[in-house]
Amino acid sequence: MRRDEIDQYMDILNFDEYELRSRLEFFEITDDDFRCLAGLRDFASKYTEEIVEKLYELILGHPETRTFFPDAETVERVKRKQTEYFMKLFRENIDLDYIRDRLRIGFVHEKIGMPPKWYLGAYRRYLQLITDRLIEEYRDRPDLAEQYVRSIEKIIFFEMAVSIDTYIAAHVETVTRHKEAIRELSTPVIKVHDRVLLLPVIGTVDTHRAQQIMETVLLEIVEEQAKVMIIDIAGVAVVDTRVADHLIRTTKAIRFLGAEAILTGISPNVARTVVQLGVDIGEIQTTNRLADGIELALHEIGKAITPKNQEKHLEKARQQERPGEKR
Amino acid sequence: MRDAGHDSSQDAKESIRIVEEADIITARQRVRATAQELGFDSFAASAIITITSELARNIWVYAGRGEVVVERIDKGARKGIGLQFIDQGPGIVDLPKVLKGGLSRGGGLGLGLSGSKRLADEFDIDTQPGKGTHISVVKWKAR
Repeated sequence: MRRDEIDQYMDILNFDEYELRSRLEFFEITDDDFRCLAGLRDFASKYTEEIVEKLYELILGHPETRTFFPDAETVERVKRKQTEYFMKLFRENIDLDYIRDRLRIGFVHEKIGMPPKWYLGAYRRYLQLITDRLIEEYRDRPDLAEQYVRSIEKIIFFEMAVSIDTYIAAHVETVTRHKEAIRELSTPVIKVHDRVLLLPVIGTVDTHRAQQIMETVLLEIVEEQAKVMIIDIAGVAVVDTRVADHLIRTTKAIRFLGAEAILTGISPNVARTVVQLGVDIGEIQTTNRLADGIELALHEIGKAITPKNQEKHLEKARQQERPGEKR
Repeated sequence: MRDAGHDSSQDAKESIRIVEEADIITARQRVRATAQELGFDSFAASAIITITSELARNIWVYAGRGEVVVERIDKGARKGIGLQFIDQGPGIVDLPKVLKGGLSRGGGLGLGLSGSKRLADEFDIDTQPGKGTHISVVKWKAR
Protein backbone atom coordinates (compact mmCIF):
# COMPACT_ATOMS: atom_id res chain seq x y z
CA MET A 1 0.00 0.00 0.00
CA ARG A 2 1.56 3.25 -1.10
CA ARG A 3 1.73 6.36 1.00
CA ASP A 4 -0.68 8.29 -1.26
CA GLU A 5 -3.10 5.38 -1.10
CA ILE A 6 -3.05 5.57 2.68
CA ASP A 7 -3.67 9.30 2.52
CA GLN A 8 -6.54 8.66 0.15
CA TYR A 9 -8.10 6.32 2.71
CA MET A 10 -7.48 8.81 5.50
CA ASP A 11 -9.46 11.26 3.37
CA ILE A 12 -12.27 8.83 2.61
CA LEU A 13 -12.63 8.08 6.32
CA ASN A 14 -12.26 11.78 7.18
CA PHE A 15 -9.47 10.85 9.56
CA ASP A 16 -8.03 14.00 11.04
CA GLU A 17 -7.19 15.16 14.57
CA TYR A 18 -10.82 15.91 15.26
CA GLU A 19 -11.99 12.48 14.11
CA LEU A 20 -9.28 10.81 16.14
CA ARG A 21 -10.24 12.66 19.32
CA SER A 22 -13.91 12.02 18.71
CA ARG A 23 -13.30 8.29 18.38
CA LEU A 24 -11.05 8.10 21.44
CA GLU A 25 -13.76 9.87 23.40
CA PHE A 26 -16.49 7.51 22.25
CA PHE A 27 -14.41 4.42 22.96
CA GLU A 28 -13.71 6.03 26.35
CA ILE A 29 -9.97 5.69 25.95
CA THR A 30 -8.33 8.01 28.48
CA ASP A 31 -4.79 8.80 29.58
CA ASP A 32 -5.29 6.24 32.35
CA ASP A 33 -5.80 3.56 29.73
CA PHE A 34 -2.63 4.58 27.92
CA ARG A 35 -0.74 4.48 31.24
CA CYS A 36 -2.05 0.95 31.80
CA LEU A 37 -1.16 -0.16 28.27
CA ALA A 38 2.35 1.32 28.37
CA GLY A 39 2.85 -0.26 31.79
CA LEU A 40 1.94 -3.67 30.40
CA ARG A 41 4.71 -3.69 27.81
CA ASP A 42 6.97 -6.05 29.76
CA PHE A 43 4.09 -8.38 30.37
CA ALA A 44 3.22 -8.26 26.66
CA SER A 45 6.72 -9.02 25.42
CA LYS A 46 6.87 -11.97 27.79
CA TYR A 47 3.70 -13.63 26.43
CA THR A 48 2.96 -12.30 22.95
CA GLU A 49 4.95 -14.88 21.02
CA GLU A 50 3.30 -17.70 22.88
CA ILE A 51 -0.12 -16.11 22.34
CA VAL A 52 0.53 -15.77 18.60
CA GLU A 53 1.45 -19.47 18.45
CA LYS A 54 -1.84 -20.35 20.12
CA LEU A 55 -3.74 -17.96 17.84
CA TYR A 56 -2.35 -19.68 14.75
CA GLU A 57 -3.48 -23.01 16.08
CA LEU A 58 -6.98 -21.65 15.64
CA ILE A 59 -6.32 -20.03 12.28
CA LEU A 60 -4.45 -22.98 10.75
CA GLY A 61 -6.86 -25.44 12.32
CA HIS A 62 -9.83 -24.12 10.39
CA PRO A 63 -10.18 -25.37 6.80
CA GLU A 64 -11.26 -21.99 5.42
CA THR A 65 -8.72 -19.75 7.13
CA ARG A 66 -5.88 -22.22 6.52
CA THR A 67 -6.06 -21.56 2.77
CA PHE A 68 -4.77 -18.01 3.28
CA PHE A 69 -1.39 -19.43 4.30
CA PRO A 70 0.02 -21.49 1.43
CA ASP A 71 3.36 -22.50 2.99
CA ALA A 72 5.38 -22.65 6.22
CA GLU A 73 7.43 -19.64 5.18
CA THR A 74 4.32 -17.47 4.90
CA VAL A 75 3.13 -18.69 8.27
CA GLU A 76 6.45 -17.76 9.91
CA ARG A 77 6.51 -14.32 8.29
CA VAL A 78 2.92 -13.57 9.26
CA LYS A 79 3.52 -14.76 12.82
CA ARG A 80 6.42 -12.34 13.18
CA LYS A 81 4.26 -9.51 11.81
CA GLN A 82 1.45 -10.50 14.10
CA THR A 83 3.76 -10.38 17.12
CA GLU A 84 4.92 -6.87 16.17
CA TYR A 85 1.34 -5.87 15.59
CA PHE A 86 0.13 -7.01 19.00
CA MET A 87 3.10 -5.41 20.73
CA LYS A 88 2.08 -2.07 19.24
CA LEU A 89 -1.20 -2.21 21.17
CA PHE A 90 0.73 -1.47 24.35
CA ARG A 91 1.40 2.21 23.82
CA GLU A 92 1.18 5.54 25.56
CA ASN A 93 -0.84 7.34 22.87
CA ILE A 94 -2.55 7.10 19.50
CA ASP A 95 -1.72 9.61 16.80
CA LEU A 96 -2.53 9.92 13.10
CA ASP A 97 0.67 8.15 12.06
CA TYR A 98 -0.42 5.19 14.09
CA ILE A 99 -3.84 5.25 12.38
CA ARG A 100 -2.09 5.30 8.98
CA ASP A 101 -0.18 2.23 10.02
CA ARG A 102 -3.39 0.51 11.12
CA LEU A 103 -5.26 1.38 7.91
CA ARG A 104 -3.01 -1.07 6.13
CA ILE A 105 -4.46 -3.97 8.06
CA GLY A 106 -8.00 -3.63 6.77
CA PHE A 107 -6.72 -2.69 3.34
CA VAL A 108 -4.44 -5.72 3.03
CA HIS A 109 -7.13 -8.05 4.35
CA GLU A 110 -9.63 -6.77 1.82
CA LYS A 111 -7.11 -7.12 -1.01
CA ILE A 112 -6.30 -10.75 -0.23
CA GLY A 113 -10.02 -11.44 0.12
CA MET A 114 -9.97 -12.21 3.84
CA PRO A 115 -13.52 -11.56 5.05
CA PRO A 116 -14.00 -9.53 8.28
CA LYS A 117 -15.53 -12.58 10.01
CA TRP A 118 -12.13 -14.31 10.22
CA TYR A 119 -10.38 -11.15 11.30
CA LEU A 120 -12.92 -10.54 14.07
CA GLY A 121 -13.02 -14.19 15.07
CA ALA A 122 -9.23 -14.33 15.40
CA TYR A 123 -9.25 -11.13 17.43
CA ARG A 124 -11.74 -12.70 19.79
CA ARG A 125 -9.34 -15.53 20.43
CA TYR A 126 -6.49 -13.10 21.02
CA LEU A 127 -8.58 -11.20 23.57
CA GLN A 128 -9.33 -14.45 25.40
CA LEU A 129 -5.68 -15.54 25.38
CA ILE A 130 -4.34 -12.24 26.65
CA THR A 131 -7.06 -11.95 29.29
CA ASP A 132 -6.28 -15.43 30.61
CA ARG A 133 -2.58 -14.55 30.94
CA LEU A 134 -3.39 -11.24 32.63
CA ILE A 135 -5.69 -12.79 35.20
CA GLU A 136 -3.04 -15.43 35.86
CA GLU A 137 -0.24 -12.89 36.14
CA TYR A 138 -2.19 -10.59 38.47
CA ARG A 139 -4.09 -13.23 40.40
CA ASP A 140 -3.16 -11.44 43.65
CA ARG A 141 -4.50 -8.14 42.33
CA PRO A 142 -7.84 -8.94 40.61
CA ASP A 143 -8.75 -5.23 40.69
CA LEU A 144 -5.63 -4.39 38.62
CA ALA A 145 -6.23 -7.30 36.27
CA GLU A 146 -9.76 -6.05 35.63
CA GLN A 147 -8.55 -2.54 34.91
CA TYR A 148 -5.93 -3.85 32.46
CA VAL A 149 -8.44 -6.06 30.70
CA ARG A 150 -10.71 -3.03 30.24
CA SER A 151 -7.92 -0.96 28.70
CA ILE A 152 -6.96 -3.76 26.34
CA GLU A 153 -10.59 -4.25 25.33
CA LYS A 154 -10.92 -0.56 24.54
CA ILE A 155 -7.89 -0.39 22.28
CA ILE A 156 -8.81 -3.63 20.53
CA PHE A 157 -12.30 -2.39 19.75
CA PHE A 158 -10.84 0.90 18.60
CA GLU A 159 -8.51 -1.00 16.25
CA MET A 160 -11.28 -3.19 14.94
CA ALA A 161 -13.38 -0.14 14.12
CA VAL A 162 -10.52 1.35 12.08
CA SER A 163 -9.97 -1.92 10.26
CA ILE A 164 -13.62 -2.45 9.46
CA ASP A 165 -13.89 1.12 8.17
CA THR A 166 -10.93 0.47 5.92
CA TYR A 167 -12.40 -2.81 4.77
CA ILE A 168 -15.55 -1.02 3.70
CA ALA A 169 -13.69 1.88 2.09
CA ALA A 170 -11.46 -0.52 0.14
CA HIS A 171 -14.50 -2.46 -0.96
CA VAL A 172 -16.38 0.66 -2.06
CA GLU A 173 -13.30 1.77 -3.92
CA THR A 174 -13.16 -1.54 -5.79
CA VAL A 175 -16.82 -1.29 -6.72
CA THR A 176 -16.32 2.29 -7.90
CA ARG A 177 -13.45 1.22 -10.12
CA HIS A 178 -15.57 -1.54 -11.63
CA LYS A 179 -18.36 0.93 -12.28
CA GLU A 180 -15.93 3.23 -14.06
CA ALA A 181 -14.70 0.33 -16.16
CA ILE A 182 -18.24 -0.61 -17.13
CA ARG A 183 -19.00 2.99 -18.00
CA GLU A 184 -16.04 3.14 -20.30
CA LEU A 185 -17.33 0.06 -22.07
CA SER A 186 -20.86 1.35 -22.21
CA THR A 187 -20.69 3.93 -25.00
CA PRO A 188 -19.25 2.13 -27.97
CA VAL A 189 -19.73 4.11 -31.14
CA ILE A 190 -19.77 1.87 -34.19
CA LYS A 191 -19.05 3.01 -37.69
CA VAL A 192 -21.83 1.50 -39.79
CA HIS A 193 -20.79 3.08 -43.04
CA ASP A 194 -18.77 6.00 -44.23
CA ARG A 195 -20.22 8.98 -42.31
CA VAL A 196 -22.86 6.90 -40.54
CA LEU A 197 -22.37 6.12 -36.85
CA LEU A 198 -24.33 3.95 -34.46
CA LEU A 199 -24.52 4.13 -30.69
CA PRO A 200 -26.39 1.28 -29.02
CA VAL A 201 -27.52 2.38 -25.56
CA ILE A 202 -27.99 -0.49 -23.14
CA GLY A 203 -29.14 -0.55 -19.53
CA THR A 204 -29.75 2.49 -17.42
CA VAL A 205 -29.41 6.11 -18.45
CA ASP A 206 -28.51 7.99 -15.28
CA THR A 207 -27.17 11.53 -15.10
CA HIS A 208 -23.56 10.49 -15.61
CA ARG A 209 -24.41 8.19 -18.50
CA ALA A 210 -26.53 10.81 -20.21
CA GLN A 211 -23.67 13.29 -20.11
CA GLN A 212 -21.29 10.66 -21.39
CA ILE A 213 -23.62 9.81 -24.28
CA MET A 214 -23.89 13.47 -25.24
CA GLU A 215 -20.11 13.99 -25.11
CA THR A 216 -19.18 10.80 -26.95
CA VAL A 217 -21.76 11.32 -29.66
CA LEU A 218 -20.74 14.88 -30.41
CA LEU A 219 -17.00 14.14 -30.35
CA GLU A 220 -17.36 11.12 -32.62
CA ILE A 221 -19.47 13.05 -35.11
CA VAL A 222 -16.76 15.67 -35.45
CA GLU A 223 -13.95 13.14 -35.53
CA GLU A 224 -15.57 10.90 -38.13
CA GLN A 225 -17.17 13.79 -39.99
CA ALA A 226 -20.39 11.87 -39.70
CA LYS A 227 -23.56 12.89 -41.45
CA VAL A 228 -25.89 10.60 -39.52
CA MET A 229 -25.87 9.39 -35.94
CA ILE A 230 -28.11 6.45 -35.13
CA ILE A 231 -28.95 5.99 -31.45
CA ASP A 232 -30.48 2.63 -30.72
CA ILE A 233 -32.41 2.49 -27.46
CA ALA A 234 -33.81 -1.05 -27.74
CA GLY A 235 -31.71 -2.05 -24.73
CA VAL A 236 -32.68 0.84 -22.48
CA ALA A 237 -34.47 -0.41 -19.38
CA VAL A 238 -36.89 2.49 -18.90
CA VAL A 239 -37.61 5.53 -21.03
CA ASP A 240 -39.04 8.07 -18.61
CA THR A 241 -39.32 11.84 -19.07
CA ARG A 242 -35.72 12.27 -17.94
CA VAL A 243 -34.32 9.85 -20.50
CA ALA A 244 -36.60 11.30 -23.18
CA ASP A 245 -35.37 14.77 -22.26
CA HIS A 246 -31.74 13.67 -22.60
CA LEU A 247 -32.43 12.07 -25.97
CA ILE A 248 -34.19 15.18 -27.22
CA ARG A 249 -31.30 17.36 -26.09
CA THR A 250 -28.74 15.05 -27.65
CA THR A 251 -30.52 14.99 -31.00
CA LYS A 252 -30.80 18.79 -30.92
CA ALA A 253 -27.06 19.09 -30.33
CA ILE A 254 -26.40 16.62 -33.16
CA ARG A 255 -28.47 18.77 -35.52
CA PHE A 256 -26.67 21.84 -34.28
CA LEU A 257 -23.45 20.21 -35.47
CA GLY A 258 -24.99 19.75 -38.91
CA ALA A 259 -25.63 16.02 -38.66
CA GLU A 260 -28.86 14.05 -38.57
CA ALA A 261 -30.04 11.95 -35.64
CA ILE A 262 -32.11 8.81 -35.98
CA LEU A 263 -33.55 7.12 -32.92
CA THR A 264 -34.10 3.41 -33.38
CA GLY A 265 -35.28 0.50 -31.28
CA ILE A 266 -38.48 2.16 -30.12
CA SER A 267 -40.67 -0.63 -28.81
CA PRO A 268 -44.49 -0.39 -28.80
CA ASN A 269 -44.40 -0.09 -25.00
CA VAL A 270 -41.93 2.75 -25.05
CA ALA A 271 -43.95 4.54 -27.72
CA ARG A 272 -47.16 4.22 -25.73
CA THR A 273 -45.58 5.16 -22.40
CA VAL A 274 -43.76 8.19 -23.74
CA VAL A 275 -46.93 9.49 -25.40
CA GLN A 276 -48.90 9.00 -22.18
CA LEU A 277 -46.24 10.87 -20.29
CA GLY A 278 -46.99 13.77 -22.60
CA VAL A 279 -43.49 14.04 -24.04
CA ASP A 280 -43.33 15.86 -27.37
CA ILE A 281 -40.49 14.26 -29.29
CA GLY A 282 -40.70 17.01 -31.92
CA GLU A 283 -39.14 16.22 -35.24
CA ILE A 284 -36.82 13.43 -34.21
CA GLN A 285 -36.68 10.67 -36.80
CA THR A 286 -37.55 7.40 -35.14
CA THR A 287 -37.91 3.81 -36.23
CA ASN A 288 -38.86 0.60 -34.54
CA ARG A 289 -36.20 -1.55 -36.12
CA LEU A 290 -32.51 -0.77 -36.25
CA ALA A 291 -32.43 -2.09 -39.82
CA ASP A 292 -34.91 0.60 -40.89
CA GLY A 293 -32.80 3.21 -39.18
CA ILE A 294 -29.71 2.10 -41.05
CA GLU A 295 -31.58 2.16 -44.33
CA LEU A 296 -32.84 5.65 -43.55
CA ALA A 297 -29.30 6.75 -42.69
CA LEU A 298 -27.88 5.41 -45.94
CA HIS A 299 -30.62 7.14 -47.85
CA GLU A 300 -29.62 10.32 -46.04
CA ILE A 301 -26.05 10.12 -47.39
CA GLY A 302 -27.24 9.24 -50.89
CA LYS A 303 -26.65 5.51 -50.66
CA ALA A 304 -29.21 2.76 -50.68
CA ILE A 305 -29.51 -0.88 -49.88
CA THR A 306 -30.95 -2.72 -52.85
CA PRO A 307 -31.89 -6.39 -53.07
CA LYS A 308 -29.41 -8.58 -54.92
CA ASN A 309 -31.77 -9.60 -57.70
CA GLN A 310 -32.81 -6.02 -58.18
CA GLU A 311 -29.16 -5.15 -58.65
CA LYS A 312 -28.95 -7.76 -61.40
CA HIS A 313 -32.01 -6.21 -62.99
CA LEU A 314 -30.42 -2.82 -62.90
CA GLU A 315 -27.21 -4.21 -64.33
CA LYS A 316 -29.15 -5.86 -67.15
CA ALA A 317 -31.06 -2.69 -67.80
CA ARG A 318 -27.83 -0.75 -68.00
CA GLN A 319 -26.31 -3.23 -70.39
CA GLN A 320 -29.38 -3.10 -72.55
CA GLU A 321 -29.31 0.65 -72.50
CA ARG A 322 -25.69 0.94 -73.54
CA PRO A 323 -26.10 -0.24 -77.11
CA GLY A 324 -29.12 2.01 -77.32
CA GLU A 325 -26.97 4.98 -76.39
CA LYS A 326 -24.71 4.26 -79.32
CA ARG A 327 -27.57 4.38 -81.71
CA MET B 1 -42.71 -16.27 7.52
CA ARG B 2 -46.07 -15.65 5.99
CA ASP B 3 -49.10 -17.01 7.72
CA ALA B 4 -51.43 -18.56 5.19
CA GLY B 5 -54.55 -17.63 7.14
CA HIS B 6 -53.92 -13.87 7.05
CA ASP B 7 -54.26 -11.21 4.42
CA SER B 8 -50.98 -11.62 2.59
CA SER B 9 -50.96 -8.00 1.35
CA GLN B 10 -50.09 -6.97 4.89
CA ASP B 11 -46.78 -8.79 4.66
CA ALA B 12 -45.94 -7.94 1.08
CA LYS B 13 -44.68 -4.42 1.76
CA GLU B 14 -41.17 -3.35 1.12
CA SER B 15 -39.48 -0.05 1.69
CA ILE B 16 -36.57 1.19 -0.39
CA ARG B 17 -34.58 4.15 0.84
CA ILE B 18 -33.76 6.76 -1.75
CA VAL B 19 -30.47 8.43 -0.90
CA GLU B 20 -28.49 8.31 -4.11
CA GLU B 21 -29.25 8.05 -7.80
CA ALA B 22 -28.55 4.30 -7.91
CA ASP B 23 -31.39 3.77 -5.41
CA ILE B 24 -33.83 4.77 -8.15
CA ILE B 25 -32.68 1.73 -10.11
CA THR B 26 -33.12 -0.49 -7.05
CA ALA B 27 -36.68 0.77 -6.62
CA ARG B 28 -37.38 0.20 -10.29
CA GLN B 29 -36.00 -3.33 -10.14
CA ARG B 30 -38.16 -4.17 -7.12
CA VAL B 31 -41.25 -2.91 -8.93
CA ARG B 32 -40.31 -4.77 -12.09
CA ALA B 33 -39.93 -8.01 -10.12
CA THR B 34 -43.28 -7.46 -8.37
CA ALA B 35 -45.01 -6.77 -11.69
CA GLN B 36 -43.57 -9.98 -13.07
CA GLU B 37 -44.65 -11.99 -10.03
CA LEU B 38 -48.20 -10.70 -10.39
CA GLY B 39 -48.23 -11.38 -14.11
CA PHE B 40 -48.69 -7.79 -15.31
CA ASP B 41 -48.93 -7.36 -19.07
CA SER B 42 -45.94 -5.63 -20.58
CA PHE B 43 -47.62 -2.26 -21.01
CA ALA B 44 -48.93 -2.10 -17.44
CA ALA B 45 -45.50 -3.19 -16.22
CA SER B 46 -43.84 -0.53 -18.32
CA ALA B 47 -46.27 2.07 -16.93
CA ILE B 48 -45.70 1.25 -13.25
CA ILE B 49 -41.91 0.99 -13.73
CA THR B 50 -41.88 4.36 -15.46
CA ILE B 51 -43.95 5.88 -12.64
CA THR B 52 -41.42 4.51 -10.14
CA SER B 53 -38.59 6.00 -12.13
CA GLU B 54 -40.25 9.42 -12.35
CA LEU B 55 -41.39 9.78 -8.76
CA ALA B 56 -38.32 8.19 -7.14
CA ARG B 57 -36.21 10.56 -9.18
CA ASN B 58 -38.30 13.49 -7.96
CA ILE B 59 -37.48 12.47 -4.39
CA TRP B 60 -33.78 12.34 -5.17
CA VAL B 61 -33.72 15.59 -7.16
CA TYR B 62 -35.95 17.75 -4.96
CA ALA B 63 -35.85 16.27 -1.46
CA GLY B 64 -32.41 14.62 -1.53
CA ARG B 65 -33.72 11.62 0.40
CA GLY B 66 -36.91 9.73 1.07
CA GLU B 67 -38.42 6.32 0.58
CA VAL B 68 -40.45 4.26 -1.84
CA VAL B 69 -42.83 1.70 -0.38
CA VAL B 70 -43.77 -1.10 -2.73
CA GLU B 71 -46.89 -3.02 -1.84
CA ARG B 72 -48.08 -6.11 -3.55
CA ILE B 73 -51.86 -6.13 -3.63
CA ASP B 74 -53.31 -9.57 -4.05
CA LYS B 75 -57.02 -9.62 -3.21
CA GLY B 76 -58.10 -12.74 -4.97
CA ALA B 77 -59.30 -11.65 -8.37
CA ARG B 78 -57.83 -8.17 -8.02
CA LYS B 79 -54.10 -7.93 -8.26
CA GLY B 80 -52.04 -4.81 -8.39
CA ILE B 81 -49.11 -2.80 -7.15
CA GLY B 82 -49.42 0.01 -4.64
CA LEU B 83 -46.60 2.49 -4.40
CA GLN B 84 -45.91 5.25 -1.94
CA PHE B 85 -43.33 7.96 -2.48
CA ILE B 86 -42.53 9.71 0.74
CA ASP B 87 -40.14 12.56 1.40
CA GLN B 88 -39.64 15.41 3.83
CA GLY B 89 -38.47 17.76 1.10
CA PRO B 90 -39.59 21.25 0.13
CA GLY B 91 -43.06 20.12 -1.07
CA ILE B 92 -44.79 21.32 -4.22
CA VAL B 93 -45.84 24.95 -4.10
CA ASP B 94 -48.21 25.24 -7.04
CA LEU B 95 -49.63 21.74 -7.28
CA PRO B 96 -52.47 22.39 -9.80
CA LYS B 97 -50.03 24.00 -12.22
CA VAL B 98 -47.45 21.24 -11.78
CA LEU B 99 -50.11 18.59 -12.37
CA LYS B 100 -51.04 20.28 -15.63
CA GLY B 101 -47.50 19.60 -16.80
CA GLY B 102 -44.67 21.53 -18.35
CA LEU B 103 -43.52 23.29 -15.18
CA SER B 104 -40.13 22.30 -13.83
CA ARG B 105 -37.77 23.65 -11.24
CA GLY B 106 -35.30 20.87 -11.86
CA GLY B 107 -34.46 21.76 -15.45
CA GLY B 108 -36.30 18.79 -16.90
CA LEU B 109 -39.38 18.59 -19.08
CA GLY B 110 -41.71 19.09 -16.12
CA LEU B 111 -43.85 16.16 -17.15
CA GLY B 112 -42.90 13.61 -14.51
CA LEU B 113 -45.77 14.22 -12.13
CA SER B 114 -48.51 14.84 -14.70
CA GLY B 115 -47.28 11.92 -16.80
CA SER B 116 -47.20 9.58 -13.82
CA LYS B 117 -50.75 10.56 -12.95
CA ARG B 118 -51.87 9.62 -16.47
CA LEU B 119 -50.00 6.31 -16.35
CA ALA B 120 -51.51 5.36 -12.97
CA ASP B 121 -54.93 3.89 -12.20
CA GLU B 122 -55.12 5.62 -8.83
CA PHE B 123 -53.09 8.64 -7.91
CA ASP B 124 -53.20 10.55 -4.69
CA ILE B 125 -50.91 13.35 -3.64
CA ASP B 126 -50.48 15.09 -0.33
CA THR B 127 -47.93 17.86 -0.31
CA GLN B 128 -47.17 20.70 2.06
CA PRO B 129 -44.66 23.40 1.20
CA GLY B 130 -41.69 23.07 3.51
CA LYS B 131 -42.90 19.80 4.98
CA GLY B 132 -42.74 17.18 2.29
CA THR B 133 -44.67 15.15 -0.23
CA HIS B 134 -46.50 11.85 -0.03
CA ILE B 135 -47.75 10.32 -3.26
CA SER B 136 -49.77 7.11 -3.41
CA VAL B 137 -50.17 5.27 -6.67
CA VAL B 138 -51.97 2.08 -7.62
CA LYS B 139 -51.68 0.20 -10.87
CA TRP B 140 -54.05 -2.74 -11.31
CA LYS B 141 -53.35 -5.79 -13.33
CA ALA B 142 -55.62 -5.85 -16.40
CA ARG B 143 -58.33 -8.46 -15.97
